[in-house]
Amino acid sequence: MSRKKDDSLYQKTFSYKFFKWMKGEKDPLVGNVEMTPKKDPKEEEEETINERLREKQMMLEKIYDVENNKLILNFRKIYKFISILFCITMFAILFLNVSYLPPVGDAGNPSDNEVPVRYIEKGIEETGAVNFVSGMILDYRAFDTFGESNVLFIATITVLILLKVDSKLKKNDPEKYEKETNDRTLEPKKDPILQFCARYLMPVIVLFGICTILNGHISPGGGFSGGAIIGAGLILYLNAFGFNDTERFFIEKTYKVVCFVALTFYCLAKSYSFFTGANHLESHIPKGIPGAILSSGLILPLDICVGLVVACTMYTFYCMFRKGDY
Amino acid sequence: MGMIEWIRLLIGLSLLIIGVVIFASEIIGIFKMKYVLNRMHAAAMGDTLGLLSSLLGLMIISGLNFTTLKMVFVIAFMWFTSPVSSHLISRMETSTNESLSYYCEEMTLKEIEEEDVT
Repeated sequence: MSRKKDDSLYQKTFSYKFFKWMKGEKDPLVGNVEMTPKKDPKEEEEETINERLREKQMMLEKIYDVENNKLILNFRKIYKFISILFCITMFAILFLNVSYLPPVGDAGNPSDNEVPVRYIEKGIEETGAVNFVSGMILDYRAFDTFGESNVLFIATITVLILLKVDSKLKKNDPEKYEKETNDRTLEPKKDPILQFCARYLMPVIVLFGICTILNGHISPGGGFSGGAIIGAGLILYLNAFGFNDTERFFIEKTYKVVCFVALTFYCLAKSYSFFTGANHLESHIPKGIPGAILSSGLILPLDICVGLVVACTMYTFYCMFRKGDY
Repeated sequence: MGMIEWIRLLIGLSLLIIGVVIFASEIIGIFKMKYVLNRMHAAAMGDTLGLLSSLLGLMIISGLNFTTLKMVFVIAFMWFTSPVSSHLISRMETSTNESLSYYCEEMTLKEIEEEDVT
């Protein structure tokens, strides 16, 4: 049997403070740990909030005339009812469908057909790649990957059309060009700490990306992931040293040439491989020993192509969204 | 398991728990504080000390193998990059916030040194 404490005694206990904090009445951090803002200039007074709400309500009533227009009133009620009904119906349909799904790991599942068995049993022999995923996406389904690379290319072209500053402007009106491409007015320029960090990090990142691409057929990784890593390294370099340094090795022409060569090589090489395969001709591309760096036929060059396209795409997106020019 | 194994496991677990506690305080700080620089202080604490402590605990539990080496690399990479990103965010905040004097006192280095002496 516990006795009830006095209010003055109770207010000193820990539980009183704790429950007050739970309700949100008192914040122990304000005034002690945190620097309290003197007064937020953007904070609204209570009166203005009320006035704003009242004006909004008045406007709505004026426009829709809720009291007299029964049609709108009924429509609102029916709208609410139907939206709730729609949500419940969708829930019901989805849950019903989930209950019909086959159990996990059952031998009779539709996904357990002869295709993955073939990949696992004959994958190394047919493609020469130890990494099954690489063998799948760059050998069995290489045209699918080709389409993905082209999607990236088309996305970059769209961004270039929309965001690139007109290149004639540079000759005709240099002042306007400067104004359009001025990307950092308040941002810190050439931060020495970031420069020190990038000087040591960027080579490591790019080397790791190259390693991921070149080992795409023997270990996890491949063109897409390696290209993304290289692109991130390039963006870090650009952030640290500015456009003057990156202009030396990456301009618009670089992007055009690299992407064109990579995509064309991909298309021609894979067309040759598919043509010979479909017509039962002898393919002159050696498979090599599975597990060696130079093995698995076309997978390694195709990985390099995909990696180059992805890296250029990432870098171009960043440049376009930030400045509008390389 | 022998005595030494048990001691190793206990040390590792206690380090891991310390790390998790630091992460918890980081998250509380991020959600309770209202100003950017305060919140960043809380976040940076978890990124450095919490990560170090929890990964050290995992390294002691795991023993000497390749996984431990990878964790050392993770610590090195995070300690190299995370303070730099915090520095850039704070520099961005101080250089772009127009109403900075509403939130913080601005002091030069000289004034701080004088305050420390007195």
